[in-house]
Amino acid sequence: MKEAPDEGVWTAGHLLERLERRDRFFVLDVRNRDEFERFQLEGRSQVPAVNVPYFEMLELGGKDEMVDSIAAYLERDLTDRLPADLPILAVCARGDTSEFVRQALRRLGYAGTNLQGGIKAWGGYYATRAIVETSDLAVYQVVRPARGCLSHVVASAGKAIVIDPLRHLHPYRDLARSKSLTIEKVIDTHGHADHISGGPALAAETGASYHLHPYDAIHPMDLLPATMPYEPIRDGQIFPVGRFDLQALHIPGHTLGLVALRIDDRYLFTGDSIFIRSLARPDLGGKAEVWARLHGRSLRKLLGLPGGMSVLPGHFSSLDEGGDTGRFTASLDDLKQRNDGLLVLQRESDDGFVRYLLESLPKFIPEYVDIKRVNAGLLAPTEEDAATLELGKNVCALSQANVTSGGGKP
Amino acid sequence: MSLGFDKLLDARGLNCPMPLVNARKEIGKLDPGQVLKVVATDRGSVADFQGWAKVAKNVELVAQETEVMDGANVYVHYVKRTT
Repeated sequence: MKEAPDEGVWTAGHLLERLERRDRFFVLDVRNRDEFERFQLEGRSQVPAVNVPYFEMLELGGKDEMVDSIAAYLERDLTDRLPADLPILAVCARGDTSEFVRQALRRLGYAGTNLQGGIKAWGGYYATRAIVETSDLAVYQVVRPARGCLSHVVASAGKAIVIDPLRHLHPYRDLARSKSLTIEKVIDTHGHADHISGGPALAAETGASYHLHPYDAIHPMDLLPATMPYEPIRDGQIFPVGRFDLQALHIPGHTLGLVALRIDDRYLFTGDSIFIRSLARPDLGGKAEVWARLHGRSLRKLLGLPGGMSVLPGHFSSLDEGGDTGRFTASLDDLKQRNDGLLVLQRESDDGFVRYLLESLPKFIPEYVDIKRVNAGLLAPTEEDAATLELGKNVCALSQANVTSGGGKP
Repeated sequence: MSLGFDKLLDARGLNCPMPLVNARKEIGKLDPGQVLKVVATDRGSVADFQGWAKVAKNVELVAQETEVMDGANVYVHYVKRTT
């Protein structure tokens, strides 16, 4: 085989750029099969991949040394599955084992590369993008691509409010430092189930106040009150930031205490209600049928807001929802035309919409009960346990498999 | 619980894949029937040794234990050379 160009090593940031550009490459994932099943690299469209655990290649290659054995295995057993004309990204849990795989691929003449830091680094990678950045108002979207989590920073006149900060605080620290912002308030739109909130920790670190709706300060299954300090959010409450105001709208459904936040008629931070392609699920508190009805009412309230408002959601399900710019936002009018769940909501009665919600529930994730405990201060995990709880992509949206007659589907 | 073994491999502080790569070399030096005890700090080694024992023809995973040593979790694997 002709010597392929040296791809070097890809960082998580390089990987995100390539996924967003829809570059073609192939993944050789050498983790355990169950780790691979639980969490794979996903792009705007499916990334072709093959999973062979490293210890199988090592054993079946039959040599003493790692690189020798893997090269022998690849050459004998995997040649017909590895593309000769694409970069091949070796992926493992932490990036050390996959470096041996990269070397074996290079030895055989493939354009082998390694994901530096492995799935752990990818899972912990954040990107910050400006949605708007003018002299009087800036809105930044902080994206955790592997998990599909979004958080936002609203800044004006040197002051900032952070909405739904994620577990790792460096993106907010870095942004505050580089833009000379003082973080005055931290708001969780709701008690999160899929990820550990960085809210209380960020507030403690910066001296900011931490705000949460009181209904979400009670664990919905344990019926125990949260232990961390918080200031209760009221429906309609105003949070000034520099020359602008954020206003809270209580929209129960995904949780009982969910709030959306709006800036005038311009920006609408929807938390877990309206996403770009789908809607939030109403069952994570264990009361799907009751909460589904609330959810429908709240969503109709949001649909009554000015259609030109830019929706900034709390999650995405596919990187493709960020389009070519990697910004997960769209106008409310636009979403009324193309969001699967909103299309159903607009044509169905309340009962019909509840039926649709209940028929579209994805599998319940047992870890989510514990994550809600962590976010209520009822459980304090170690760093390792926290990472394990957060493994994989969020499943906060409705499953889209049940949409059969969405009029505006492409 | 403490099981019998013929050779000890200290793989503490080593990251994946080295505990398994080194264990595989050591097991090659044992006689059939002998047991290698591997002590590792890499949590991933637990699943990896299980997976490896399934594909390796001359290896049986006799037992796995988690111990606390100097305040940290240590993962112990007993691997027998079968043939």
